[in-house]
Amino acid sequence: MVKGTQNGVTADFDGNYSIQAASTDILVFSFVGMSSKEIRVGNQTVINVTLESSNQLEEVVVVAYGTAKKESYTGSVTQINAEDIGKRSLTNVVNALDGAAAGVKIAPANGQPGSTPQIIVRGIGSVNASISPLIIVDGVEFVGSFSSLNQNDIESISVLKDAASTSLYGSRAANGVIMITTKKGRKGKAVAQLNFSQGVTSRSIEEYERVNAFEYYPLMWEAIRNGLAITGNTPFDEANQTATNTVFNQLRTNPFNVPNNEIVGTNGLINPNAQLLFTDLDWQEPLERSGTRTNVDFSYSGADDKTDYYVSLGYLLEEGYVIKSNFERISSRININSQLKDWFKTGVNLSATTSRSNNSRDGGTSSLVNPFFSTRTIAPIYPIFLHDETGAFVLDDAGQRIFDDGANRVGSSSGRHVIQETLLNITRNEINSISGRTYAEFTFLKDFTFTFNAALDKRFIYTEDFDNPIVGDGAPIGRGGRDSQINTTINYNQLIRYNKSLGNHNFNVLLGHESFETEINFFTGFRSGLVVDGNTELINFTTTLDLESNSATLTREGYFANLNYDYNGKYLLSGSYRRDASSRFSRSARWGNFFSVGAAWNIDKENFLKDVSWLDALKLRLSYGEVGNDNLGDFFISQSLFGLGFNNGGEGGIRGSAAGNPDLTWEVNVQQDIALEFSLFNSRVSGTLEYYERDSEDLLFEVPLPVSAGFDSFPDNIGDMTNKGFEFDINIGIIRNPNFRWDLNINGSTLTNEITKLPQEEIINGTKKLVVGGDIFAYWLRDWFGVDPADGSALFVLDPELGAAGDADVRTINGTLVTTNQNKAKFDFVGTAVPDLFGGFTNSFRYKQIDLSFTFTYQLGGETYDTNFAALMHPGTFGTALAKEALNRWQQPGDITNVPRMDANQVNVFNAASDRWLVDSDFLALRQFNIGYNFDKELLSSFGINTARLYASGENLFIATGRKGLDAGQNFNGTTQNRFTPSRVVSFGLNVTF
Amino acid sequence: MKKFNNQHINKPTFGFFDGLSSIKSLSLKLTIVLFVSILTFTSCEREFLDELPTEDVASESATATTDNLFLVINGIHRSLYIRFGSQGQSGIGAMMIQNDALGEDFVMTGRANGWFISAYQWLDHTNANDGDLLFPYRAYYQIIRNANTVIDGADGAEGPQAIKDAAKGQALIYRAWAHFQLVQLYGGRYNAGGNNTQLGVPLRLTPDNAPLARASVEEVYSQVHADLDEAIVLLDEYSRPNKSHLDKSVAIGLKARVFLVQGNYANAAQFASQARNGFTLMSSSDYFNNFANFESGEWMWGSHIQEDQTDFFGNYGAYVSRNFSSSNIRGNPKAINSALHATIPTTDVRSQIFDPTGLHNNLPPGVGPLPSNFARRPFTSQKFIAVSGGDSRVDVPYMRVSEMYLIEAEARARMNQDALAAQALFELASVRDPQYTLSTNTGQALIDEILLQRRWELWGEGFRFYDLKRLNLPLDRTGANHDPVLAGVLNIPAGDSRWNWLIPQDALNSNPLLVQNPL
Repeated sequence: MVKGTQNGVTADFDGNYSIQAASTDILVFSFVGMSSKEIRVGNQTVINVTLESSNQLEEVVVVAYGTAKKESYTGSVTQINAEDIGKRSLTNVVNALDGAAAGVKIAPANGQPGSTPQIIVRGIGSVNASISPLIIVDGVEFVGSFSSLNQNDIESISVLKDAASTSLYGSRAANGVIMITTKKGRKGKAVAQLNFSQGVTSRSIEEYERVNAFEYYPLMWEAIRNGLAITGNTPFDEANQTATNTVFNQLRTNPFNVPNNEIVGTNGLINPNAQLLFTDLDWQEPLERSGTRTNVDFSYSGADDKTDYYVSLGYLLEEGYVIKSNFERISSRININSQLKDWFKTGVNLSATTSRSNNSRDGGTSSLVNPFFSTRTIAPIYPIFLHDETGAFVLDDAGQRIFDDGANRVGSSSGRHVIQETLLNITRNEINSISGRTYAEFTFLKDFTFTFNAALDKRFIYTEDFDNPIVGDGAPIGRGGRDSQINTTINYNQLIRYNKSLGNHNFNVLLGHESFETEINFFTGFRSGLVVDGNTELINFTTTLDLESNSATLTREGYFANLNYDYNGKYLLSGSYRRDASSRFSRSARWGNFFSVGAAWNIDKENFLKDVSWLDALKLRLSYGEVGNDNLGDFFISQSLFGLGFNNGGEGGIRGSAAGNPDLTWEVNVQQDIALEFSLFNSRVSGTLEYYERDSEDLLFEVPLPVSAGFDSFPDNIGDMTNKGFEFDINIGIIRNPNFRWDLNINGSTLTNEITKLPQEEIINGTKKLVVGGDIFAYWLRDWFGVDPADGSALFVLDPELGAAGDADVRTINGTLVTTNQNKAKFDFVGTAVPDLFGGFTNSFRYKQIDLSFTFTYQLGGETYDTNFAALMHPGTFGTALAKEALNRWQQPGDITNVPRMDANQVNVFNAASDRWLVDSDFLALRQFNIGYNFDKELLSSFGINTARLYASGENLFIATGRKGLDAGQNFNGTTQNRFTPSRVVSFGLNVTF
Repeated sequence: MKKFNNQHINKPTFGFFDGLSSIKSLSLKLTIVLFVSILTFTSCEREFLDELPTEDVASESATATTDNLFLVINGIHRSLYIRFGSQGQSGIGAMMIQNDALGEDFVMTGRANGWFISAYQWLDHTNANDGDLLFPYRAYYQIIRNANTVIDGADGAEGPQAIKDAAKGQALIYRAWAHFQLVQLYGGRYNAGGNNTQLGVPLRLTPDNAPLARASVEEVYSQVHADLDEAIVLLDEYSRPNKSHLDKSVAIGLKARVFLVQGNYANAAQFASQARNGFTLMSSSDYFNNFANFESGEWMWGSHIQEDQTDFFGNYGAYVSRNFSSSNIRGNPKAINSALHATIPTTDVRSQIFDPTGLHNNLPPGVGPLPSNFARRPFTSQKFIAVSGGDSRVDVPYMRVSEMYLIEAEARARMNQDALAAQALFELASVRDPQYTLSTNTGQALIDEILLQRRWELWGEGFRFYDLKRLNLPLDRTGANHDPVLAGVLNIPAGDSRWNWLIPQDALNSNPLLVQNPL
């Protein structure tokens, strides 16, 4: 590029270039990720340049409706490039964001291959409305699934964090914007790339530790005995005898070689002669496997003067570590851009992806077909297979073991068999995605361009369900379902750009209009009564249980303008304005106005710093703006509605379904940002320090109604909330010498969330309570006091309004009034799920031809309400497993412990929700690790190969948490479900370009 | 040399028309640009942003016409058998199981997969945070919301007056019935002699969202009567297409029920007698073979669930039938209290629908035998038979005329009209038991006999908790086939605070005017 002109060329892959320039010109050499260099041409004809790896400020980043040089950008943006993304084995490319950008928090995706994690940018933007960022793929809003994107097609992922960077997307940008850009061909020799990797998947988080059969029976004996003798009035001797006689009756399976009424003695101890008759008691082992992952990607790309192209094909098959879970994808992409006339450029970017997956049914946290719930909570006394009295396997005619049908189990596994059901049932998805982007760009007059962009995203999602007729929900007749969903999203925008430089004054103006339409067409059929085996199509059933279709459309429209001005690259100003409407709101309330202003000062360009040699760059930037959010509930949230589908036999029926609110309008996010970006010591140390504040106003709220209103809630714009925090993102080149490089990136963000206005004094929702001055994920729970050493009762701090000393259920312990009645317990703010600090750090090494990098993510502060653990700490739910910690239960007067006595009659009381179940959310996780060997180029060239890298990579390799088994951080609000525990993926591969 | 555009270089002048290559290309380009802009900018019509759902209709249309009023009425009928939350919260059938599980006549024979066990143990309605405590409160008020929409909008609806009246009349019955059910659960017990100023439940009479305080028990009962009285007038001419709809007889039957709870025996007897008009008791053979059939001449009000409107494992029949193959029924077939069963003469069909052996070798024709993986437990019931092992549907009874005989008999016995009472009882009992002879009991003995017959007749239909509370009786599960560990509690004294269901915590949280019952 000749400085001060638009005369520029792109070097080919090997770095060759040619350009015409005058001897007085200055050539500017630049490359993504490298420092630019300026060289006066003089009388040289050949200028060879080696660019240094750059500080962050010189990068070109993808921003709203275009790109910008980070140096001259007034907004807050973090970008991850292909180089880093390509080294990993990501089935879902969004995982690349985890730990890579300050202020971006990821709740790790579950273990289903291809699943998408939840993402938040700069805190929790709303209470009831969406908190997810806007996703832009190649310039337009993306409604598809990330799993349809091939990681090797991705050129960059940018995260836009403040109003200055996001407000051009005004209406939808309240929660930040993630921009994904796919690859284009580069000028020069055509390049082909082949990547092959093979890996294995396994479980990444260990199971909670649970008691075994020898421990379980005596504990449940105690639950009976204490229920009779302590909660009831039965004398201890009698209660001991009853417990010994009846503990089998309550559990109904005796895995031991002793009679049913002698399993546990009247002393509460397991019969010393008891030995297991069978050992098929571990339900997790048969469901788990070492899954394989195979990935082959091939692409070729190139460009000449007029046209660039990028073509790719990819194949991926990942098996989950749970049997029958997998994800298979074939992806393809063609991206062609042509400068047809000197004033007209056009292009298409088409991708087609088809994927099939068999899914593990972890949808309901306590669904009986959920293998994670079922195998976690089944008592350790129930065998997988049928056994005879001697303990031997009962075999069928073919000599195979027979699954135990659960007739002799109690609790949730009664009559069910999660292993057999997993084997026999089918939950399969097929997703076909077509995504097309095209544009026409006209250059006209002087300095003007007009661009028309059109995009179509279409997704066909076909789901097959089958519940077998042998065991489970489908038994005894079998049932099958088919769902078809078609999502069509059409997006147009028209942009007029005007770029002008007047001496040191540079102007850049953008005017635009955008329309967005997304439609969902849904069709479902559900039938029962399987006719012949082996065919799960609906024609093969007798009875129709459900047959329905519906469709829904959401539209938005917006006008926007953007002005950027800079003076000699030193002083930068930007302003944006956008006016948007959403069909979610009524005619009178649907338009909203959003804006931002930003300013930056490249201090290093001031004369007074000219001589500070260790300072490469120093930039101060500020921004302020308002962006919006319309994403509450379904597409018709503002409408008062009666639902169809409530027919009474053959007579049509409707039923009140939504309260609606015609005044409902945009939630507004007022954002402020101040940041210092720097680069020191020849780029050895660079980074960004940033402070932000987001005030969410007129929150889109599902305001709880009195239950007697007959609706649970109605939508309204009530309430304000603030998120604020410091972010740091530091890169340090620890070692830089020709053979060895060590780079460290460390980033982190603090987060403070505060509710500043609410529709009512307080809103209690599950384990949380919202009050002004509190935070969105503040736990409001019973105040657990401990266990009474006298009788092992669970004690809660008494709510003085609900009871007083002298009540039968009120005690005084060390001067504190406590209660054994959970309904009289005092509720208190006992913690929060909001972390104090979170982020990641990445070490990258390069030694000669070996490169290595690994990323840790961490969180400090915040607590998790561990529902999964609480379920394993019951004081006597027959048939449900117990955690090892239950062995610490109170046993006799004087015992000092925090685990109450076993007592089958106190299940609801002792296990009541309280701060007893909070555990620190702190974690340190090794999210990714990769190591590669780059073959010698000269050696390769004799084979016609440009580069070759042999590598190993791993995802989710290690996590340290506050409790073994805890899946920390799975939800931002601190709750846990029995979900598909995230999987670990270890891959080996080879990447070759030629 | 590569040069990628023709833009002029280094000309620091400022102007729109500088640097054009030619006027000709200007006009071509401008034409194209203008054309494309106009073409694409014109999508911004107002209609583009007006979207309507396909799964719902606008609320205004619900009361626009009399036909639409009936859509809402049918929606309420349907809501008696839809799921309100978990699998154990499916319509009125689930509430009937809750109310029987709280009593002593309905016996859980195993823990199985746990549904309704904590209700059986009195742990649900005594725990303010329990979802199953919230369920009836929330469901009944949703019914009231829809009923109020009809009551409020009927006068303005377009269409014949007769249809308007029929819709409004049914809505009024629903509002009355829902308030009546709510006050019996969450309110203080109605005290026949007292002024009943104890806390009842909020009286919701308009379709709005305002927070309401709890009305007194007396206020709730007077509103219930007012609504029923109005409904009786409005439904005078109404003839219903099937028994999912509510007609005058249901309103009259409910009046009898309400008066019985209030201890207003004269009115209870009179309305119960009047309600019997047009209904006939089913034969013993129908009772045995085809009890759950809402077309029976004995049924006054019930739900029939169409094949594609089933709630699978949530249906009433998924818990109380003998033959549906759910984990719950296979592992916890429901039994009658063995001591109660011992009081039923073996010649009475109501004895025969329970099997002391649990083997059920005598199922109705076309049913069974029970598969081998069904647990056999003594005294289990075959009163309800589902469509099949794979289809849990049974018709759900909300009011049968036999109850009217029992109300009249009890009311007359309490008014010391022993002969009339015995006669009313005879009319029912002699149909159930061919050996039954007119009772010679008098006074308390006669009342006791009638109450015993009531327990035989209404087993499993959700009456027992209401009756125990109404009669101010203790819960006593001893001396029968209740497993003490499974049952959790065997005795609850009469008048214990636990006879009043707690006000759900969600309701308290969202309405500061509500007051909790004594804990």
